[in-house]
Amino acid sequence: MEKLYLGLSTLCFLGGFIFAVTALRSGRVDPGRVNMAIIGLGFIFQCLFLQIRGKMHGQCPITSGAEVLVFICWSIVLMYFLLGKAFRLSLLGTFTAPIVFVFQGLALVFLILDQTPIERVAEVDAWKEMHASMALLSYGAFALSGVAGIMYFVQDRQLKSHHPGRLSYKLPPIRYLVDALVRLLGIGLLLLTIGIVSAFFMENFPSTLHLVVSGSVWVIYAGLLAVHLFKKLPPKRLAVSSVIAFVVAVCTLAAL
Amino acid sequence: MKLFCLGLNHKTAPVEIRERLAFSETHLPENLAEIQALKSIRETVVLSTCNRVEIYASAEEPEVAGKQVTDFLIDHFEIDESEIGHIEFYEKHEADAAQHLFKVASGLDSMVLGETEIFGQVKKAYATAQSAGTTSRQLNKLFQQSFQIGKLVRSSTKIQQGSTSIGAVAVDLAEKIFGRLNGCKVMIVGAGEMSRTTAQSLLSRGASSIIVSNRSFDKAEELAAELKGEAVRFDNWEANLGGIDIIVSATGAPHTVLHAETVEHAMNQRPGRSLFVIDIAVPRDVEDQVNEIENVYLYNIDQLQQIAEEGRTRREEQIAICEEVIEKHIGEKGIPALAEQTETQPEKRKPGETEPVTG
Repeated sequence: MEKLYLGLSTLCFLGGFIFAVTALRSGRVDPGRVNMAIIGLGFIFQCLFLQIRGKMHGQCPITSGAEVLVFICWSIVLMYFLLGKAFRLSLLGTFTAPIVFVFQGLALVFLILDQTPIERVAEVDAWKEMHASMALLSYGAFALSGVAGIMYFVQDRQLKSHHPGRLSYKLPPIRYLVDALVRLLGIGLLLLTIGIVSAFFMENFPSTLHLVVSGSVWVIYAGLLAVHLFKKLPPKRLAVSSVIAFVVAVCTLAAL
Repeated sequence: MKLFCLGLNHKTAPVEIRERLAFSETHLPENLAEIQALKSIRETVVLSTCNRVEIYASAEEPEVAGKQVTDFLIDHFEIDESEIGHIEFYEKHEADAAQHLFKVASGLDSMVLGETEIFGQVKKAYATAQSAGTTSRQLNKLFQQSFQIGKLVRSSTKIQQGSTSIGAVAVDLAEKIFGRLNGCKVMIVGAGEMSRTTAQSLLSRGASSIIVSNRSFDKAEELAAELKGEAVRFDNWEANLGGIDIIVSATGAPHTVLHAETVEHAMNQRPGRSLFVIDIAVPRDVEDQVNEIENVYLYNIDQLQQIAEEGRTRREEQIAICEEVIEKHIGEKGIPALAEQTETQPEKRKPGETEPVTG
């Protein structure tokens, strides 16, 4: 049943993306509210999937690569709902949907292929739950900072080309995109810090590799923010860095 | 009683004639009373803007009323024989008059297609007539419906989308770079009419301070005073670039005055801040390479004009959709003001008496 929910959620994000692109191209419909509703429906299916998997495991459902991918997707959409409006990023959902579709599509394939029976844990370590969930929520914020970076590129390219099209009028101003990107990096770094600190209180201390990898991601983002705040990194370089940093962060998940 | 509309607008009369026939706002209530006092007129509203003078009325015999109103206008504005031949009024009756008002309120008959100012002007014209006591059931219903349609057309179509003038395009682009313009510093290089208009558009959207530089310092001071800004000497304007967000350049210089090297140097002093350069001079004031500098957006007059033209084309494409919206509304709700003619008509009211709005 949970795989059906995941499949439906994945289809919602694909549908949301296709609808938004079609609406933007035709210019006849504003994708905003409809797209929000489609993404909202996808989020509900994500929650149902995670709830069922959580009950099956008896703990936070991040026990395999597939579940981690779904949890990151859930974090991305949650962050979008919590911060998208406040940061005036109306089109963030449109840009987020394809990432969520790809991640969840991969997760769905892995889950279908994986026939390992699920074992329910006897006891839950609250610090471990905190460590994992905060770290993955930070990935949600980092993913959105990467998406804001891509939106910056698109807007910058449109404005530099002297032919700002419909997309440009729908995208937030350059300055808001840079502000949102920096704030998302800050929020992500804060969540990751809480996640790493929580690891020190776990009953079974994480492996050295685990700590080195998490620490490396923290150093990358902290360094990026520090360079921006103290050396005023030009916006284009900040946008590129935020995209590269997220790709690196996702790759580190494989090591974990 | 039958509806009729008599008038002229920017399509039928040049500005010299429109300004001759413009009603003064101060005396409009008296003029409305004078028009209503004409024998066949029952109710009237005068819509007088810089682009149109239109008299909407309900009358027993519209043809006779049309002649009476024309005579009133000629008499009131003291138009002599030689001028009469140059003035051509259009006259619309019944459904045509109503539909014309609906189009006017929707901005479809405006010089700048889809502009919103006309909606407020129609509302004001109606409010003035209402307080002067020259409207009753028929025109109340007609104008109430025109407001409904005006709102409907604007909310359900894209008639307002895109900018259609160079100033508006420049402001839109500035907002795409900076968001709200509050706190943005603007520098005007060359104190001409175009730069004044563009600067005013930027100020109207919140740009906070203006620095004006011109070869003739007196002119710079004059424009700076008008825009409540600061004048700087022409040989010193580049020194101020570091703190500027938007440059409007419109000098009459035969060569470029702003070079990529200068802008690059200024950008190094202000890391992380964008710069929007509007070059409305011909020949151009700003080197093309300036647009290649990171975080700098350069637009010249041709590029701004092209965007404005695209905006106009997009709005023109919306006309048919807007007309469909109006037709659909009329199809569903009819034109209640036309039905009013068969009902009992109220007596003419004295100025100051108001009629409760119905339907």
